[in-house]
Order: sequence, then C-alpha cells, then structure tokens
Amino acid sequence: MKQDEALISDALRGSARAWEALVRRHETRVYNFSLRLMGNQTDAFDLMQEVFLGVFRNLHRFRGESLFTTWMFRIAHNKAVDMNRRRRLFSEHDLYAEQDADDDADPLDQLTADLPLQDPAAILSEERSNRDINRYLGALSWDQRLIVELKVFQSHTFDEIAELQDIPANTAKTRFYTALKKLKELMELEHDMS
Amino acid sequence: MTCHKTEYLITEYLEVDLTARQRAILEQHLQECAHCRQELAAAQQTQARLRTWQDEPVPQWNRIPESLLKVEKPRKLESFFNWQLAPLAVSFLLAVAVMMNVKITNTPDGIAVAFGGEAGVSESLVLEQLARFEAQQRQEQEERMQALTVRMEERQDAANAQLIESVVSQFGESTSRSLEQVVAYFEEQRQQDLQVLQSSYQQLADSDYQTIRSVQQLATYVQYQAESR
Repeated sequence: MKQDEALISDALRGSARAWEALVRRHETRVYNFSLRLMGNQTDAFDLMQEVFLGVFRNLHRFRGESLFTTWMFRIAHNKAVDMNRRRRLFSEHDLYAEQDADDDADPLDQLTADLPLQDPAAILSEERSNRDINRYLGALSWDQRLIVELKVFQSHTFDEIAELQDIPANTAKTRFYTALKKLKELMELEHDMS
Repeated sequence: MTCHKTEYLITEYLEVDLTARQRAILEQHLQECAHCRQELAAAQQTQARLRTWQDEPVPQWNRIPESLLKVEKPRKLESFFNWQLAPLAVSFLLAVAVMMNVKITNTPDGIAVAFGGEAGVSESLVLEQLARFEAQQRQEQEERMQALTVRMEERQDAANAQLIESVVSQFGESTSRSLEQVVAYFEEQRQQDLQVLQSSYQQLADSDYQTIRSVQQLATYVQYQAESR
C-alpha cells in the first residue's frame, strides 16, 4: 500500500507522527491476532506491544519486496511463538504472574466503552461470541491454534504457512485438518448441550 | 462410509489460490462422494463460525517509542507533561527552596526574594506555608476522588439506560433470555467498573500520598534547621 510506504519513509526520517499513524492503521488487526492466539487481553496487549517494538526496530530493514502487512505479520508470528515459549517456561516453573498492561496510563482511558457508548446488548453478544471462539481455540494445541489463525483469519496458503513455520506443506495441511475436526466436535457438543 | 480423499479434498478446497482446473477436479469428486460433501460442508461451517469474530478495540496505549520522541521535539506542552510527575516537580522546587534558604517576603514595596540571607521571615512562616500547601493538596485529592466517582456513576447510568432501552426494543417484553442478558451484562459491567475504579483510586492516592509525604519531610527538615540554629 502506498500509504504504508509513505508513512514508513517518514517514520524512518524520525517522524513520530508518521509512526503513530502507521501503528494506528494496523494495531486492531495485530491486537485481535494476539487476542485469539494468547486467549486473554493482558497477554494480547503485551504481544501487540512487542510486535510493534519489533517492527519499529527493524523498520529500516523493510525493503518493500512484500506488502508491509505480510512483513509485519511475519514478525508478529515470530513474537507470538517466542511469547508462547516463554509463557510455557514460566508456567512450568510456576513463576508466571499477570502484570498490569500499562501502569502509567489513566485507567479510565482504558475503558474503550467510555467514548462513545455503544449498544450494550450488541457489545455483550459480540463479547460472548468472541469468548466462545476463544474457548474453542483454547482447546486446541498451540500449533493447531497458530495454523487456524494463519489459515482462517490471515488467509495464508499452506505453502506460505509451511515457509513461515519451516514445516512441510503436507504437515501444515494435516495439522489444519485435525484442528478443524476438533473445532467441529467442540461446536457440535456445545450446540447439543444448549 | 469414509473416503481416503477427504483430508486432501478439504484442505485443497479451502486454499485461497486454487486454479479453475483444480477446482473443477475437486467438484467432480464432490459430485460422486457424499462423505466428502458432508465433511466439506461441516468444515466450511466451522470456518464460518470462527469468522464471526468481531474485532475488539485496542486499549489505550503509548504508541511512540521513547527513542522516536527524542528525535522529534514535542509540539504540544501536554504531550510531554505527565501529570503524575507533578508531585516530584513540586517536591524538587520545595527542596531547592529550602536548601538555598530562599526567603520570600511581602513588603510594602512588593515581594522580596532572598537567597541564603535574612529577609525577616521566620521558619515558622515557611512551616505555615508548607502546612497550607499540604492542606490544599489534601483538598485537591478529595475533589479529584469525587470527580472520578461522579464520572464512573454517569458512565454506568448511561450504559444501564441504554441497555434497558435496547433490550426493550429488541424483545418487546421481558423474556427469560433477555433478562439473562441484562443480568449478565450488569454483572460484567459492575466487575469491570469496580476494577477500573479501584485502580483509578489507587493511582490518585499514590500520587497525592507522594506529594503530601514530600511536604511533610520538608516540614520536618525546616523544623530541624530551625532547632539546630
């Protein structure tokens, strides 16, 4: 996208405003990617910040050979894998503790519902739907969850996934198929119970 | 009935960049195989359910890394002034004033400021000024706390009113399902508000406690200076 390229070029020249605009353009997608992978807002927020920090530090390496979003999601994928590894390590040693997302921010500002007020019933049903999806995804193994994210939400091809994860394309296909079957069972089970 | 081609067919079918020829081959098999048809429909349904995900808004955060802020000077005063640093700034100014023995006197000719010299102002006056400042800080803290509570209450009232309105318009009358939704929403809202309120109180209290504590320390220091003379 031309707009991304212009913002990147200005940001590389030291424009904080351009950088902020670039982040604002993509943060919702990165945050929701993080939310589905990490399963909770605190970790998703941390991951999103790590992703943008990684993007910022490596911005001078972006050559424009691929779309900025492709390049950014490669960083996001790697950061997510790292964070999951760290999280697993910490939880194994029982050291993991939740931290506040941002101690310095005014907590009232974090209430996105504060301005403007949206339809509460819509918010509730939306939140429930997302929570259900996160519950289904949470029942998958990390590898399965990651592949579902890349295939369903990021619309990657199996060849792209194979390259990103350094696995054969057939492994990616089998993993995705197994994940889909498990998700189908979970959804059916829940449907029957309700 | 099973088919050994199901996995292959589904994963291929869900590819985003299938050619027309590839698609035609898959369609051909689907016409002949009921099992694959059924499995493909289920897989598509599962994907569709996942794609009902509604993007959630990003919480407020600091988007600009510090290194970039150093490059670009802030355009607006408010962008670099952090109100949480106010107590520290006040404490620093007071400390400098005490250390340099600054005397401020209101004479008939105007205000006189003396550094380290005698200006006819006793330590008791400094102590009195500090006490007044402390009282003022306490009052401001109370006002801020009250404002925060009012803001939270207004927000909650507006959300509640809107919820009731939307439920009534959506369901016409109170069904058990709508009531469940209302209760769930209220519960969630209350929990969220409580957490935010608690955290806001804590932040305000921490900041003001820091100021008051600094003032008290300065008062003790001034008193000690006075006694040691």
